Amino acid sequence: MGVFLIDNERVYTYSDLLDSLNSSSQYYPLYKTADIYSYFVNLIQALAASRNLVLLDSDLNPSEIDGVDEELVNVAEPVEHYAYSCMEDVVAALQQSTSEITIFTSGTTGQPKKVIHTVSTLTRSVRIGGKYQGQIWAYAYNPTHMAGLQVFFQAFENLNTLINVFNRQRSEVYELINKYQVTHISATPTFYRLLLPYEIAYDSVVRVTLGGEKSDQHLYDNIVKIFPSAKINNVYASTEAGSLFAAKGDCFQISEKIRDKFTVVDDELLIHKSLLGRSDSFKFEGDYYHSGDLIEWVDKEQGLFRFKSRKNELINVGGYKVNPGEVENVLLSIEGVKQVLVYGKANSVLGNVLCADIQLEEGTTLSNVDIKKALASQLQDFKIPRRIKFVEEFELTRTGKLKRS
Amino acid sequence: METKVLEIINDIRVAKSMNAVETLKETDNLRNDLGLTSFDLAELTVRIEDEFDIDIFEDGLVNTVGEIYAKLQK
Repeated sequence: MGVFLIDNERVYTYSDLLDSLNSSSQYYPLYKTADIYSYFVNLIQALAASRNLVLLDSDLNPSEIDGVDEELVNVAEPVEHYAYSCMEDVVAALQQSTSEITIFTSGTTGQPKKVIHTVSTLTRSVRIGGKYQGQIWAYAYNPTHMAGLQVFFQAFENLNTLINVFNRQRSEVYELINKYQVTHISATPTFYRLLLPYEIAYDSVVRVTLGGEKSDQHLYDNIVKIFPSAKINNVYASTEAGSLFAAKGDCFQISEKIRDKFTVVDDELLIHKSLLGRSDSFKFEGDYYHSGDLIEWVDKEQGLFRFKSRKNELINVGGYKVNPGEVENVLLSIEGVKQVLVYGKANSVLGNVLCADIQLEEGTTLSNVDIKKALASQLQDFKIPRRIKFVEEFELTRTGKLKRS
Repeated sequence: METKVLEIINDIRVAKSMNAVETLKETDNLRNDLGLTSFDLAELTVRIEDEFDIDIFEDGLVNTVGEIYAKLQK
């Protein structure tokens, strides 16, 4: 049997995994561990036996989130003991699982919120079959969150290999990609920006997927250079609804099957409740959930649309509304700029003043004035950040997205 | 303190392709003499706040360089 997971030089084969599953007759409904292999064993054990579980971040203090009883964390419960004869049996059991899985939003802004999912909503976009065999995935997401689960199920149900690269340094990521001849990477734009600037091409990678945040042309151009053999695509997945759309060029397409489950009000995408997990934090209007994503139709009949921005993300600067994403895109197109964050700061003259934190690529020197002049040729004056800070690094959320506070 | 204010004002002027000024007079009007717009004034406040931890526009508008100095000397 092939390799299931490589984490910190440790290699776990599918045969090791089968042994781990067969030798245990208990699982942890609320499990907190920094060891990714133990985490996956527990997850698979629970799902294959149709038991419910709550996925907790290893660094999370249960008091940070509502509705988690600290005393139940890492307390084992007996589980029916199945002797699985092969991994295919385990996968089949998992596919028929009736487990409920509780996950938490990443808290990009604010307190993490609880959402309950079934295996079927979590595996909605998983593709299985001959052409998905033999893939080697760089595992670049937090395993307890939606995107990490999506990648896990996609790889696991095809008995592929996962190479853990989440939270690793740039040089380590490249080393692992090269050493294990990684074929697939799915990660946030923030993760890919960590890999800049381009130095060497890695030909083994045939598929690069971006999700969770907005990306930009500068990043695309660099990904093409770093992974010249890769097809690049985007996914839209949310903690609330799982994976919903496939990318088509720079647009997304709602598949025909679920096209009647969406509506758009004031440019905001509304999702029918039947596509969502369960959560007390969801606010519905009728049967629809407000996604907070502002979109524009490219072809409504075909379900083809483009993302514009997040609602409530607009910053009011002296009466002008600024979309920080637009400014970030222009900043990122400047040669030598690696990562940026644009935000508003309360100000007594304008209400808000536009600020930008900028991380430069190594060996680049750009001044405040250089940046402003580069922006002035592309943006109206009110969209130009007035306070520019150069930073060494950015704070990331648990799911590896930029923290917007 | 006065050199820092000069430096900040010149940074703002240079970014909008105006000439740097050599000195500031207390009577210089921020808008009329130094050509600062309300966006520039907002920038001036945040940068002075970063530097001196004082919001010069907190209780009403400041019009001249001298008024900025007065706020910072309090």
